[in-house]
Amino acid sequence: MSVPEVAPVTRTLTQAMIDAYAEASGDHNPIHIDPDFARTTPMGGTIAHGMLVLSFISEMMTAAFGEAWLRGGTLDVRFRAPARPGDTVTARARPLESKDGALRYAVECASQADEVLINGTAEVA
Amino acid sequence: MSSSLTDLPAGHVFEPITFRITPGAARAYRDAAGDTLNLYAQLGAVPPLAVAALALGALLQQVSLPPGTLHASESLRFSARVPTGATVECRATLAQRSQRAGWIVSVLDSQISCEGRPAVSARATVLSPAPA
Repeated sequence: MSVPEVAPVTRTLTQAMIDAYAEASGDHNPIHIDPDFARTTPMGGTIAHGMLVLSFISEMMTAAFGEAWLRGGTLDVRFRAPARPGDTVTARARPLESKDGALRYAVECASQADEVLINGTAEVA
Repeated sequence: MSSSLTDLPAGHVFEPITFRITPGAARAYRDAAGDTLNLYAQLGAVPPLAVAALALGALLQQVSLPPGTLHASESLRFSARVPTGATVECRATLAQRSQRAGWIVSVLDSQISCEGRPAVSARATVLSPAPA
């Protein structure tokens, strides 16, 4: 079985988006929503929640595989660099293999400068 | 007042959390993430990452994360579709805790079930600044 291509997803992050995600998820860590605090950290400013950026990968896989992703998807990723307000983030997948009925991809989120923000693997049964 | 994650010992088992993913909560999540897929409405389902994120948010009512805490890695397995409006239960454990290079490394394991069936399992590794 061949491993089909998956269409990428691109989003531009804004502070309003990050604030809305903090409200929706209940994660009010000031590194995400308090510019004054965030400036005092090694990050130098607010950063997006890792789970917000990761959601672009899950959205991409949902668009490609529908319910199969919702009831049989796996993700294993590392957060490599922070995403900041103003960044345009692209989630993309590279087919790896088909094994035992599952499709496996290398997945990543990268910034407009092609800096890898998240990378890892996704599998759908 | 909730305790800090970095004060808990490895093996700590959190109180089980039960919460309902209301249509409003699901919509707020999707709006914030910019996720406009029609599939969720067609299936009456919640994005699987929303389930994990909302469970983490509910867990943060029991334990606080020190300011400056960063997400290092995440492993997720989706086993069942979670319907909008469903009540889910999250059981979480602090699986590992260590300290290195000025950071406290915490590994949180979560099992989220819907109507008694496993729906999402998650392992999150977070880094918190160690006290000076």
